[in-house]
This record gives sequence, C-alpha cells and structure tokens, in this order.
Amino acid sequence: MKTTGKKTTALIIGALMTAAMISGCGNGNTASTTTAANNTPADTKAADNGTTTAADEPAATASTEEKTLTFGCQMYSDGLINPASQTNTAWNCMRFGVAEALFKFNDNMEVEPWLAESYTVSDDHLTWTIKIRDGIRFSNGTPLTATKVKESLDYVREKGPDGSASPQKYLEFEAEVTADDAANTIVIKTVTPYVNLAGNLAYPVMEIVDYSETTDPDTAMIGTGPYKVKEFHDQVGFDMVKNETYWNGTVPYDNVKILFMGDASAKANALKAGQVDLVENITNVADLKSLQEDSNYTVDIASGVRCGFSWLNQGGVLANDTLRQAIVMAIDGETICKSNTIGGLYTAGFSVLPSTLSYGYDKLTNPYAFNAEGAKKLLDDAGIVDTDGNGIRELDGKDINLTYVSYENRMLNDFSDAHTMYLTDLGLGITARYGSSDDQWNSLVAGDYDINNNNWTTVGTGDPTEYLANWYSKGGADYCSYKNDEYDTLYEQLKAENDNAKRTEIIQKLQQILVNDAVAIIDGYYNSSMAYSKNVGHAHIHTADYYWITTEITPAS
Amino acid sequence: MKKKNFFLCYPVFTIFAVLALMIILAAVFAPVICGDSDPTKGRITDAIMEPSAEHIFGTDKMGRDIFTRVIYGARTSLTATFILVGIIFVLGTVLGIISGYFGGIIDAVIMRIADMMISFPGLVLAIAVAGILGASIPNAVIAISVVSWPKYARLARSMVLRIRHADFVEAAVVTGSKTPYILFRYMLPNVLPIMAITAATDIGGMMMELAALSFLGFGAVPPSPEWGQMLNDGRNFIQSAPWMTIFPGLAIFVTVVVFNMLGDSLRDILDPKDKAR
Repeated sequence: MKTTGKKTTALIIGALMTAAMISGCGNGNTASTTTAANNTPADTKAADNGTTTAADEPAATASTEEKTLTFGCQMYSDGLINPASQTNTAWNCMRFGVAEALFKFNDNMEVEPWLAESYTVSDDHLTWTIKIRDGIRFSNGTPLTATKVKESLDYVREKGPDGSASPQKYLEFEAEVTADDAANTIVIKTVTPYVNLAGNLAYPVMEIVDYSETTDPDTAMIGTGPYKVKEFHDQVGFDMVKNETYWNGTVPYDNVKILFMGDASAKANALKAGQVDLVENITNVADLKSLQEDSNYTVDIASGVRCGFSWLNQGGVLANDTLRQAIVMAIDGETICKSNTIGGLYTAGFSVLPSTLSYGYDKLTNPYAFNAEGAKKLLDDAGIVDTDGNGIRELDGKDINLTYVSYENRMLNDFSDAHTMYLTDLGLGITARYGSSDDQWNSLVAGDYDINNNNWTTVGTGDPTEYLANWYSKGGADYCSYKNDEYDTLYEQLKAENDNAKRTEIIQKLQQILVNDAVAIIDGYYNSSMAYSKNVGHAHIHTADYYWITTEITPAS
Repeated sequence: MKKKNFFLCYPVFTIFAVLALMIILAAVFAPVICGDSDPTKGRITDAIMEPSAEHIFGTDKMGRDIFTRVIYGARTSLTATFILVGIIFVLGTVLGIISGYFGGIIDAVIMRIADMMISFPGLVLAIAVAGILGASIPNAVIAISVVSWPKYARLARSMVLRIRHADFVEAAVVTGSKTPYILFRYMLPNVLPIMAITAATDIGGMMMELAALSFLGFGAVPPSPEWGQMLNDGRNFIQSAPWMTIFPGLAIFVTVVVFNMLGDSLRDILDPKDKAR
C-alpha cells in the first residue's frame, strides 16, 4: 500500500513535469536567449528546437563584411559530391554549386548552353561538335580547356562502372571524345545516334570537374561552379567559400554553409529558429503552410517534373480491363491534391507526364475522370459484384484483395492511404504493405504487388523517352506486365525519330494510349519548393531538381 | 469480528481495477460509443480538422475521426497485449518448470536459448524479427513473444529449483508419484502466484512495446486503428495539428498507467513479504 502511494505521487509529479515541458515547447518561439540567437537580427526567433547537430552554429547575417548563406537541405548519399560514384553524389555536386555541366535546363526543361557556347550535330546524329566558352577557370584556377572537358567525360565513364552513377545511360562507353584546344571544341562521335545528346550532357552525372587535381573526389571535388568546398563535416554539412575565379557574373555570398537535415519538420523549424536562411523542399504540408502564412518568410514553388503514380500490375487480377478502369475512375485525385494533407505539394493530373510539360497534355482526353457511381456501375455491369455480402466484390468467384505497396517518400503513403479509402468504398479489399524504398523497388521489379506507388522524374535529360519505356513491353523496364502493340510500335518510332515536332506528336499519342488503357493511378505532379527568411533577398527553385545553390540566391540588401 | 469487504481493504486496487474494467468495456462497446462512425473511413475533404463539436478529438490526415480511432484502437491494443502476455506467460512458465525440474541437458539447452534472447536489447531484436516476418499485429506479437519469454522461463526455473529437492517433493518421488503429477500438483502451484504478478505488471510494458513497433511501422498496417501507428501518423504535424498525437498518446499513457498500477497493487496484495511490512 505504502509503495503504491509513493508511486501515485511520483506519477502525478511526472505528469505535471511532462505538462510543463509540453507547454514550454509551445512557447519556444518567444524564448529569449540561445547561442543561435546571438548573431541573428532582431526578427529571428530563438532556437530551442535542437533540430540539427550543428544547431549551435550562428546563423547567417547581413554582417558588415563577409556575407554568409546558411542552407538547410536533405542529406542524400552522405552528402558526398563525386559525380562518378553515384547518381545522388553527382546531383549533390551540382546542387551545392560546386560543378556545372556543358548544358543546363531552363524552367521549361529546354536545353541551353552552360559551359558550352554552342554545338552542331551531323545529319545522322552521330557526330556532335561542342564549342566550349572561352575564359572559364576551375575553382583552383586551372583553365577549362577542351582537353579538360574530354578528361572529365572520359573519367566519369571510366570510373562509372565502379559505382552506380551509370554514366553510359547519358553517353555510351563506345562514344569517342576528341579535344581541340586551339579551337576550344570537343567532338563526340557516337556509335548509336542520339536525339538529344545536349540534354544528356546536362544531366548532373556528366558535369565537368577537374579530377586530376582533386585531393578527395568524394568531399573536395573541384568544379567551375560559383562556390568551392572549404571543409566537409561528415554527416553535418559543408563549409563552402566563394569561387574567386567564377566566370558567370558576381558571386553574391562569401561563404555558404550547407547543413544536412533529415527530417522534413527539422528544416522548417531551423528556418523559423533563425539557424538557417534558406531551405529546400519542405515536404510537410503543415510546415509549408505555416511558412506561407508568415510574412517573415518567402516560399518559392516550382511545378516539378516528377510524377507520382501507382503501377497497376497486369500480371495479376488487374489484368481485367474493367477493374482497372473502375479503379482509376473511383479515385478523386483533384480533391486529394487539394486536401489539407497534400496541400499544394502536388498538382493533380491524369497522364503519366506532367501537365506543365509541352507534350500536349491539353489535347488529351480522360475517359475515366472521377465518378464514384460510374465506377461502381462499370463493375456492376461487368458482373464484378459482391455476392457473399462481405463488402468485397468478387472476380471469378474470388474476393478481390489487392496488395498496395508504398513507401514513405514525398507523401506517397498519404496518397496510398487516400486511394485505399476510395477503393474500399468501391468494394475492393486492400492490404497495405508499406516499407522502405528498397522494399518498394524490389516488389516492383519482382512483380510482387497489385498496386505500387512511387515517384519518378519524367524528363531527367529533358526528354521523356527513357521514362516512357516503363510501358514498352520489349525494353525490360515494363514492371506492370503491360502490353499494347500499338504502344510498342509508336515507342519504337519515337526512339528513331529526330524531328522534335514529330516526337511531341508521338509522345502525345503514347500518353493517350496509356490513359485509355488505365495503366496507372496518377497521384499528381510533385512541386519543388524553397523557403527563405528575410536574410535572403531572392532565391529560386528550378523545375529541374539539379540546381539549388546558384548565383541567383542573393543576400537581402 | 465481521470480515471487511475485500475491495474496501484494498482501495488502490479497487480504483485501478474499475478503471481497467472501464477501458476494457470501452473497447468491447466501441460501436455503441462511436455510433456509426467508422474508424477506417474518412472524407479527405475533412482532413486535419481541429477538435470541434462534430469531431471532438479532431480528424487525421485522411479525415477520419480521431475519437473513433482512439476508442477502436483500444480493441487492437488490448487484444494484442493480452494475447502477447498470455503467450509469454504460458510459454515461459512451462519451459521454466521443465528446465528447473529436469535439469541436465534439457535445462542447458533451454537456458542457453534464453540467454541468447536476453543478450540482445529486447526491442531491437523484436524489430529484427518483425522486420523479417513483415508488418502486422500478429507478427509484432510473435516478435515480442520471442524476446520476452526468457524472463518468465528464468523466473519459473529459479522458483522450481528452490523446491526441487524439498522433502515433500522427494517424498512424492519416493512414493511413486508420476512426473506429470508432480509438475502439476507441486511445481506449478508454487510458481504460479509470482508468475501471475509478473504477468500483471508486464501488461503496461508490453502494451508500450507493441505501440513502439507500430510506431516504427512494424506492427499495425494502415488503415486499421492502432495507437502507436496513430502517433507516427501525427508525428509530422506535432506543432501544427497536435491533436493528432495528443489523443492517441494520452490513450497509451492512461492505459499503461492503469494496468501498471493495477499490477503493482495486485502484487502488494499477493506478495506476503510486502504485507509483513
């Protein structure tokens, strides 16, 4: 009895302390002093969130002399920056403003020269002559010559097979690069014709770096970008400094501090606490909304080129056309994308290619626009009904129980949950199997799923050909056992076609076939975002996800 | 002297027994409490609404009523916990008695397996097991059972060893009592009270472990309502929509406290040493 009495007292004290702690959290933003607040302007709020390992670093200020930008971002592949090692590390190198490529994508995903000045291509699309801009230097002072470009392109293809960057996807191993330093041109001769090699060379894996003088390719890669690595802090971030020899205008900051933040909310909290000035891709709607509503922060949203979609596996029960059509018809993508859960992070649509790209989305028709009753009627008319009264319709005498594979990335699980609600309403049994991205990928490749939700970059090299191979039955990437001869023939035509207008026409037809065949549930098109505090004058997130730290980001005047 | 009513003698036990009963009744009569509200169905247009007259605990990301989900969640949590505690209680006790009574190679094998299980941090091993089996409540129960039975087995074994060579046991052997008879008649009754107390005090802890597995995505599968999973769902919204975590968190807190206190007060009643104090 006595012990119990003591325990009850302890419990009450514990509860009171917890309550006090919770209320303390709630008022955190008004707390007055921490180290992080010491150097911040008056309008930044004190930090008590403890969101990053580098939380005690002073934030950037518009101080008297040196201008410093503090940037919070997700850490991919340990934040390493060797383009030859992994796709993510190549992306990091370009995203952090270290390296640049011969070409780049504008916000309409059109290819523009970057380190290159111009290019010409032979009629057979086998010989590409690229003129390099004069007067460019790497951040270590070495001039960017045609030979250096050749070395970089050769090196990534030589070292590529050791890692997972797959450079041969952008420039085949057989391609021969020759350099002419006098004319400052390189000539690339390929064995197979490339429709759009410039787009491929704009991909981060093909960025131009100086391998020969790099001390540590993983953390201290040398490129031509506006900033160069001063110091790498494992699992924490990078200290970058201005590239004094930068060729393309003035570099607005003297220092850029990159801090890795794993959690979606961590980035928003760090921004609000004044620990960082700029963050990329806040994937939590609640945080994004709170920043949008607060006049102290600016949120820049770009219509992205990523499409979230759920594969419908035609190797199983979903081989039934009517069932697939009803599934697509039963889901109200528009409402889901506009809900409080998804917020503005996705734009709704019905094709596998985003509506913002110029591949004729406006000319497509959707025979399976949302209509809950229509979907039920489709199934009823096809005799797919619930005869045993358990709430689940049957096909060929068996309950329709679908396995829904999904993973926690870019709100995919939220979409899957929402789809499940609509499909349960339709009278289908859904079993959720949510796991890691590896689980999702393995089940997709093995065909071990009915519905499988994921998010793809549609025009990684400025062109959707590679992405559309997902439904080409002879390419080995057709993970949903879809087969349509008309699609296959058209796809082969697309691969052989070099004329851009004709390609657009074919791509539009391919999209319409996929819409008609109800091959996938389209979640929507993912929008990228950047949010910044008053310390930053201007920042911009690009449609192509490859450019984060650029000279466009300027300090507040 | 008139014998005092048992419940009046032990007011703490009575209070927590009544509270525990209320929780169990809430789980059993969930459909009555929640009316026609379905814990797995919501309207996406109602997503993340703060508590109001219509949804007294607010709504979650899918527009489902959190009050309904918390009440129905009690079913999942309580059932799974009772089954789990039942499994480890029976399995651990049986293996412990066998191990202690027979000794020798049987004892060595059972206890070395138990040592292996104990050498890993419990929840970490449970996560590994649940990861291999795949996410579901039954698998989570299996995973935690696998790592929790040794505690019971070792306890039962030590209790048996204390009386294994007692005179009354030897007498039973000499007089030709069959082994199963000795096990049931002498061994089991001697270990049972302590084992029962251990099981009762473990209910709260086990409930927490199940919720932890669900929180980490190794337990309940969406859209079924489960408190740990609901906490995880609301994690990203802890600042903007705290009701998504507060109410399932409160449910776990209250239930665990009630069952822990119930177990404690039961021990106070049954433990003779404590009584003497």
